[in-house]
Amino acid sequence: MNKEIVQKMLEKYGDRATDSMFERSLYARDLAPVPAILANMLIKTLPDIVVRPSNTEEVAAIMKTAFANNIPVTPRAGASTVYFNSVPTKSGILMDLNLIKGIVGLDEEGMTVTVKAGTTWSELDEFLNNQGLAPKSFPSSAPAATIGGWFCMMGYGIGSMKYGSLLSQVKSIEVVLPDGSIKKVSQETNPALDWFVSSEGTLGIITQLEVEVRKLTNMKHFLLQLPDARKMLDTMKTIIDAPVVPYNMHFSDQECLKAMKALGFSPANMDIGCIIGIDYEGSDEELKQAQEIIDSLAVANKLVNPIPQESAELEWEERFKALKLKRGGPSVLGAEVWLPIKGLPAYLEDVQKMARGYGLNLFSYGHVVTPEYATVMTTFYADETQTIKYIINLSLVKKIHDIGHRYGGNPYGVGLWNSPMIGRIHQPPQLGELRKRKQAMDSKGIMNPGKVYRAPLMLNPFNYSLGMNVLAGVRRVFGKGW
Amino acid sequence: MSKESDKLYSTLEKEALICGRCGYCRSACPVYQVVGWESAAPRGKISMARDIFSKKQTSPITDDFVKRLSQCTLCGACANECSTSIDTRKLWLDLRKRIADLGKQPKAYDAIRDNLLANKNITTFDNADRLEWAQDLDEPEQLEPRAGADVCYFVGCVSAFFPQAAQIPLAVAEILTEAEVDFTTMGGEEWCCGFPLIGSGFVDDSKQFIKHNVDKIKEFEIHTLIASCASCYHVWKHDSEEALAGYELEVLHTTEYLARLIKEGKIELNELDEVVTYHDPCDLGRNSGIYDAPREIINSIPGIKFVEMQHHHQASLCCGGGGNLQSVDADVASKIAHLRAEEIKATGATIIVSACQQCEQMLTTAIREAKLPVKVMDLSQLILEAMG
Repeated sequence: MNKEIVQKMLEKYGDRATDSMFERSLYARDLAPVPAILANMLIKTLPDIVVRPSNTEEVAAIMKTAFANNIPVTPRAGASTVYFNSVPTKSGILMDLNLIKGIVGLDEEGMTVTVKAGTTWSELDEFLNNQGLAPKSFPSSAPAATIGGWFCMMGYGIGSMKYGSLLSQVKSIEVVLPDGSIKKVSQETNPALDWFVSSEGTLGIITQLEVEVRKLTNMKHFLLQLPDARKMLDTMKTIIDAPVVPYNMHFSDQECLKAMKALGFSPANMDIGCIIGIDYEGSDEELKQAQEIIDSLAVANKLVNPIPQESAELEWEERFKALKLKRGGPSVLGAEVWLPIKGLPAYLEDVQKMARGYGLNLFSYGHVVTPEYATVMTTFYADETQTIKYIINLSLVKKIHDIGHRYGGNPYGVGLWNSPMIGRIHQPPQLGELRKRKQAMDSKGIMNPGKVYRAPLMLNPFNYSLGMNVLAGVRRVFGKGW
Repeated sequence: MSKESDKLYSTLEKEALICGRCGYCRSACPVYQVVGWESAAPRGKISMARDIFSKKQTSPITDDFVKRLSQCTLCGACANECSTSIDTRKLWLDLRKRIADLGKQPKAYDAIRDNLLANKNITTFDNADRLEWAQDLDEPEQLEPRAGADVCYFVGCVSAFFPQAAQIPLAVAEILTEAEVDFTTMGGEEWCCGFPLIGSGFVDDSKQFIKHNVDKIKEFEIHTLIASCASCYHVWKHDSEEALAGYELEVLHTTEYLARLIKEGKIELNELDEVVTYHDPCDLGRNSGIYDAPREIINSIPGIKFVEMQHHHQASLCCGGGGNLQSVDADVASKIAHLRAEEIKATGATIIVSACQQCEQMLTTAIREAKLPVKVMDLSQLILEAMG
């Protein structure tokens, strides 16, 4: 990046801009501990400058500079993903959006809140709760994930089961386009709102959103123990088909329970079978019906074991803490799969076959987010201090995705690291349409480049598949116990 | 099943790897809120610590890193949020010790240590003058150390030597006298509790301070100790176990002890027509679990309308005064105090009460600068006022 432009930006934004190597180095990573040797071989993760704009106008001014000078821009806020979604691939400007936060307005009649994009979901929840309201849904990383960030991903999480995807709850957004123009976008505008959902910051920078809210109501929490994944699926279906829709439904397989128990985190100290956590919110009448639905499950089938309410409530309290599994690590690798729930038992069986084949433990847990789909996280322990072994272990992430694909699933989120599997996420016509949109909105390719639409050359699907399969073969032969 | 509040710590090397970089800590960190750079966030600091200590010191310990480490109030908000249950407060102390062991600590920490080793208190005053504040009492000589008293009041350096904080020990002494408690102090035999040394990484030096104080308590045959400073209390409660092994000593914060006296009917409280809010000192609340006693006291005063701030109990926001932050970056400390002042303002309270002289000093300055019509008081002062 041109040094004069860097200098001008430093002068303009003062202590909200830096080109210090010390500061910049921390923006060259996200949650994923990818060895620098691997990342640096493929992309340029170190931004030339980090800027922290404090309002939409400053975002627009930075974008105008970038547009005029063909400088790549990477937007970043909570940076709570693992696919390098908010890590630069071509250096340039990193825009830290965490100062763009706060509530703009609450429309209690229309039941919407207008919120700045860098506000975290927990902050919004706290604000709304004080007004007797709540977000309709939120991510399982709500303390760090921002409103804008989750919209830029797929936006399925806690509450989606009852209220649908975040896209269905957003009325409009304010977005700064790659040329620096500011646009209010709704489903009626061109481009439309749905262009921006899951766009991962590749079409523009969202600075404000108008989101639907709900009344804050009482909740009831349940935990059920099931003997196996097939029984778990049957029970899930019964609950889904019941007259009262759960707010949230999550599950863990036996390996996950075992690992949690070993760490002292397992609900009710269970390590046999699977568990489903079901959370309801609504009127007292709805909650009464929910209680009857869950009670009837146990009456109808002795294999359904209800866990005491106290454990179910604690499980809900811990809803943002799935990462505690990492204490058994030190590192964790894994894949998050968007999976039809009908394929869940077969997926989990194949995952355990894979675990036996590679001599490792694979833990699976996830959320049922629509009546048909779940997001399933399958993880295993690794050690990032052992670089070679760790890189070889990365190949198993693809193997997990392969199992998901076998049962109609695909990677949840793209970023950089899932871009070789973009053909599994989108059908060719759909992908073609997405690429057309990208071209129309960002013809210079400066907006969060290297993500979503196609993999970098060295990670193209053929190279990626070949490389990962070879490494997985090495892992299978030599890597037992790594 | 463990609760999320159960914090865990093994070694720095392991915990730095266990950190998932989720960023929950960042949202809660007061230093990050005012500095804004990822390097100031707990996850950023741990990420750098991982490169330095967990990965065989492949990265150097830079001055920038040391500066960021020192920009921490040790408030424990990050530990409260940690998704992998890391006791991050322990981690920061461990890191500061490692840095000090390598001789790379900030110069301000050297000054703290040199002064403490020379004077046994955080000021340059003669330690023998620790009861100077008591001269305003009717019978100051009664506070001279006395063996076998029912209770020993551990005054703390700030209350003993800083004139603006002297009203706190005076209030405590007057209340105890009024309640006819048989109490004493350690007088000039009291040394700094050792907290500033622990917070600077000089843990070995702190041990001689702890040992001295414990030895004196044993010598005076004291079995109940009360402290009005939250940090002194924290050291007595959590860092003195080894020195106290085999000796029976009940350690209480003054708020706990005074709440007990109120319940026992030994203190009579009159009506006060005020709107009061309470600031949880980090070392008393989040880091020691004392939330109820101060609130019980406030609510036992007739006429008071008690209001909570936006962040309270475990989620309370730090005042900016902890962790030796003022000694290395007074500006950051002050900005944090101003965040808290905003929350005080939003309550509409006429009095902000706390239970730590450092918090009260930080909040007094911030409230004065923000020109808020709010009075800052220690809980003991509020009780004294209600006693008429």
